[in-house]
Amino acid sequence: MSKINLNKISHSYNPNDPNPTYALNPFSMVWEDGKRYAILGPSGCGKTTMLNIVSGLVRPSSGKILFDEKDVTDLKTESRNIAQVFQFPVIYSTMTVYDNLAFPLRCRNFSQEIVEERVNSVAETLNLKSFLKLPARKLTADQKQLISLGRGLVREDVAAVLMDEPLTVIDPDLKFKLRRNLKEINEKYKTTLVYVTHDQNEAMTFADNIIVMSEGEVVQTGTPKELFERPKTTFVGYFIGSPAMNLFESETSSNNSVKINDTLIKTSTDLSKLKNNKVKLGIRSEFIKIAENQKENVISVDVEKVEDLGNYKLLTAKMGNLTIKSKINRETEVSSEKVNLYIPPEKCCVYEDEKLI
Amino acid sequence: MGKLYTFLKYFFITVWTVFVVAPFLWALTTSFKDFNSVNGGVTYIPWVDFEPNLEGWRVLIKSPAQGGVDIVEPYFNSLFVTCTASLVSIILGTLSAYALSRYTFKAGPIKNNDITFFFISQRIMPPIVLSIPFFLFLGAVNLLDSLFGLIVVYIVLLMPIAVWIMVDFFNKVPREIDETALIDGCNPYQAFYKVVLPNSIPGLIVAGMFCIIFGWIDFFFAFILTFTEVQLLPVKIVALNSSITPWWSLSASALVSVAPLIVVAFIVERYLSKGNLSGAIK
Repeated sequence: MSKINLNKISHSYNPNDPNPTYALNPFSMVWEDGKRYAILGPSGCGKTTMLNIVSGLVRPSSGKILFDEKDVTDLKTESRNIAQVFQFPVIYSTMTVYDNLAFPLRCRNFSQEIVEERVNSVAETLNLKSFLKLPARKLTADQKQLISLGRGLVREDVAAVLMDEPLTVIDPDLKFKLRRNLKEINEKYKTTLVYVTHDQNEAMTFADNIIVMSEGEVVQTGTPKELFERPKTTFVGYFIGSPAMNLFESETSSNNSVKINDTLIKTSTDLSKLKNNKVKLGIRSEFIKIAENQKENVISVDVEKVEDLGNYKLLTAKMGNLTIKSKINRETEVSSEKVNLYIPPEKCCVYEDEKLI
Repeated sequence: MGKLYTFLKYFFITVWTVFVVAPFLWALTTSFKDFNSVNGGVTYIPWVDFEPNLEGWRVLIKSPAQGGVDIVEPYFNSLFVTCTASLVSIILGTLSAYALSRYTFKAGPIKNNDITFFFISQRIMPPIVLSIPFFLFLGAVNLLDSLFGLIVVYIVLLMPIAVWIMVDFFNKVPREIDETALIDGCNPYQAFYKVVLPNSIPGLIVAGMFCIIFGWIDFFFAFILTFTEVQLLPVKIVALNSSITPWWSLSASALVSVAPLIVVAFIVERYLSKGNLSGAIK
């Protein structure tokens, strides 16, 4: 277990080209010992490259990786003491389940007793106890993935366990249970867990800290609450949350208010220093409330549809050419034509050039 | 429709089986015949049509002085050359194939695929093109007419087959397997022989089978590169044909010469039927 420091890391798959394209733009980041991190982003944004750099499968084009102040940038994968679980189950198909789980320990010359004890304890956690003697290739895909996970968790002294969308092939019921198991393992052994996913729910429920990436760039790092309430870019606002954040093209009109389709919306952001008056206003559908009467920050909209999604109702409405989505309480009766919506100023995020002001 | 299809299927399978098996059957019965039963018209059923005897087979192990043809020495020569050359080819070929599959090589415009193709191109070339260089080369190092010289030549001929099959096979073994092994604490060599190689046994068996077959049946180079000291089985059998060896001994020697291939075929078939050749990964 160690603190992982990624110092000005960047990576290009064609570094010798005159115009290299970067899979990962330069960034710096520290992963604290014993915490849970999720790397979240759409496919092809550099998540896996980042993991492979940490595990040593890929050497970064520039920058340094420090494990507890020790420079491991040029250290080979096998000497780094890291565990990694891939998206698809990787098993040693010629070995039994027991040998699969014991492999990382045996490679590092642990004694027979320790191997036995650790393998049994991991098998217990992952419900693999009854399969230990079977050849690994006879198991189903999700059981195989459990073996992969088990191999990642079997060593207690790893610097970190890196997981690359490990629960993709596992069915939802077990997924939920495993995510909780992983949390328990993290709390019990204080293992640093890094979890790559493109599923925001998974990231939100699992991690202490979420790293949002887009096109090779680390866009925002923060707790789930920070990401949800104060997305640093419109991308994060759009990517996190379901439905995505409402974003409106607007113009600044005073020091703290913006104008959308001639309606003035007050915000808690200081807009006096902006050079450009074109901004975007972002507001989560969760924060928009139905208002009884006209007052400040209340807009009148035409209801387009109301969907009952079980635990809440999703209201889709139009204001001129803008679409607004609002999550409302299931019990609330909504008129089918006109409705007034209140936009709380303290929940408004204002973006200039797609970045939060 | 269904019935007709089944009928046609079995019909063609039967015809094909007869076509393939008949020569063997002919050779097998002939090998147990004597002069009278070979020349006395078409006969097939032993003890009914003709009285079987072992003379044809005995001749194979008798020395020429005793009136035999003695194929024992060429037989073991062939076995030794084929097995040694196949083994070396498989080892070298597997290592090269792994390197070609996993690492990037670059020398000017030459890349991995070109190197792989270079290996295969050795087999695309007509063998006769290689005969003069091989002859001169072996002559220069004094290895003409020797087992070692033949082994060297056969390695050159068999290794491309091993490389070709194994590159293809390793490309199908996901890289994540190697990477996982590295993460689990193996060095690259351990990752190769502890994890990748056991996963590649089906490929190794196929490659080994091809090497053994191509090594065993080669007549051309064995014929050109040996004279009197060393003789391989195919050359010996062809030589029997041109001498006055009787039909029954010729049949027996032909059967003995295909025997190892039949054994190989049975082993591989057993392996195939266990379903081990597919689904080794994932």
